[in-house]
Amino acid sequence: MTQTRGEAQARGGNEGMNYRNPTVLGIAAAAILTILVVVGSRNLEHFDPALFGYTIASIVALGAIVFRYALWLQRPATRAYFWRGLDLFFKRKKLAKNTATAAGTIATNIVEQRFIFKRSRQRWLMHLLIMWGCILSALITFPLSWGWVHFKLEGDRGYRAYLFGFPTVVMDGRSVLAWIQFHALDFTAVMVLAGCAIAIHRRLKDRGAIASQTFLLDFTPHMLLIAVSVSGLMLTASSLWFAGYMYSFISLSHQALVIMTLFYLPFGKLFHIVQRPASIGVELYQQRSREMEQAVCPRCGTMFSGQLWIDDLKKVVGQLGFDYRMGDGHTLQDYCPRCKRILRGHAYAGLAEKSEPVFYGDRMKMHDERLP
Amino acid sequence: MKETMFVDPQRCIGCRSCVAACRECSTHKGFSMIFVDYFDRAETTATMPTICMHCVEPTCALVCPADAIKMTEDGIVMTALKPRCLDCRNCVNACPFGVPKYNSQMHLQMKCDMCFDRTSEGLKPMCASVCPTGALSFGTYEQIVPLRRTKPVNVHVFGNQRVETKVYLMLPTDSDEVSVEGVDAADPAIHESWIDTQAEETDKSNQF
Repeated sequence: MTQTRGEAQARGGNEGMNYRNPTVLGIAAAAILTILVVVGSRNLEHFDPALFGYTIASIVALGAIVFRYALWLQRPATRAYFWRGLDLFFKRKKLAKNTATAAGTIATNIVEQRFIFKRSRQRWLMHLLIMWGCILSALITFPLSWGWVHFKLEGDRGYRAYLFGFPTVVMDGRSVLAWIQFHALDFTAVMVLAGCAIAIHRRLKDRGAIASQTFLLDFTPHMLLIAVSVSGLMLTASSLWFAGYMYSFISLSHQALVIMTLFYLPFGKLFHIVQRPASIGVELYQQRSREMEQAVCPRCGTMFSGQLWIDDLKKVVGQLGFDYRMGDGHTLQDYCPRCKRILRGHAYAGLAEKSEPVFYGDRMKMHDERLP
Repeated sequence: MKETMFVDPQRCIGCRSCVAACRECSTHKGFSMIFVDYFDRAETTATMPTICMHCVEPTCALVCPADAIKMTEDGIVMTALKPRCLDCRNCVNACPFGVPKYNSQMHLQMKCDMCFDRTSEGLKPMCASVCPTGALSFGTYEQIVPLRRTKPVNVHVFGNQRVETKVYLMLPTDSDEVSVEGVDAADPAIHESWIDTQAEETDKSNQF
């Protein structure tokens, strides 16, 4: 008996989203960060009240991101991949090898981003500038606004940074190194601006991009990043060259823009920041499954994928309400992509041998209500 | 968009103009997303073009762990979103029609998106605009169907699964659906012939 997926789901009960666990996880993550803020700033002793807005926004945003991530893991395919990735990683005999594979993936995919280079050099440069600009900025600003880092003056020019309340080295406040550190956010802002400029140029010129882009998904994140960077640079300009003209207004605007960007994280394109590292698990899975038994196409005999992987896929396909079991005891997904096309070709070619009458077209005009 | 594709394998002469033209599409520049396969190379020169059929409930999009494959309001199943695609190849192996392609170096899946850059501007897809025989045609149901003596069908049955698509297959007989069955051990014709085993490995795994 054939079925559509909708019928199968209606029979099996529609598997809805579970919002309870993600909510609990989101609140837990936000609570943990709050505790860390209190502990790291030594009971808020080193907490900068001017950065209160950033702190609250980042705590809420973390909760929202964890909520969204947990919801995302409820997709049957994502869940299967997530657990299989962890399962394979913690195989006792292969832990060292798996760690090496994961480290390799992090180096080539996340740090170097070779795959974006293969897609397009321009995109790679654009992404490199935006990503490192944002990561470096976050590494500087989040610990500051959570009170994890603060500075104390020692002597005339000595600055000592305290990390999580613990003292680190003293630095000459007038040295080149110090100047670079104090202006690090200006450099990262310029990096982000350059990256966004390349991205927007591409989005305005590339026909493929123009056809498929949407304002909310593809332009909004760039607008937000540009606004954050420009308002950040304006703070530097105001204090360096304009004697603090409009400083508090710019500072408030900057804060509002950063908060907007943080709240945009779980929804739009920027969610790929937390989603993308899943490729470490995917790559690990692919590498390990290559060493295991291979799936052999029942028609052409090609080994086209790992058997474990195809078995997992078939389970996911089943959970989604599809039933691709064929009359010959195989499931459609057992066949390699090319043989699936050929099987369909044979089904089409075999039509002429079946008992249905040849179709002459004129009947269509008489009975097809869709035609005038 | 009321227009859709009408695929008539009977008319395909295997010229592969569509394969060449497909590379020109701006959303997957330089890579062809269309397939022209031999049914059985030892027996016949007949070929069959395969484009994305744009399923009403796309298996590829549902098995994607990253939710990277989106549908437009017109029912076009888009190529994977580049920031999201993890190159897991679930879509490649789950698609009942064997359509999506992947590239492991780019960590990317790509598939036919009915030339979204062109069709969204009212142009025909590249394949339909170059096909010399009308094996691949683009237009509304009302435009294309009265011109043909073949029956438009948009339902395939794979084993127990009924799959409805936006794209039509033109049938020579009065069937309402195309029923695809697996390899029947008793029927040697459906097994791969010796000459087809020479096909490229990449052609079998859909790597571009």
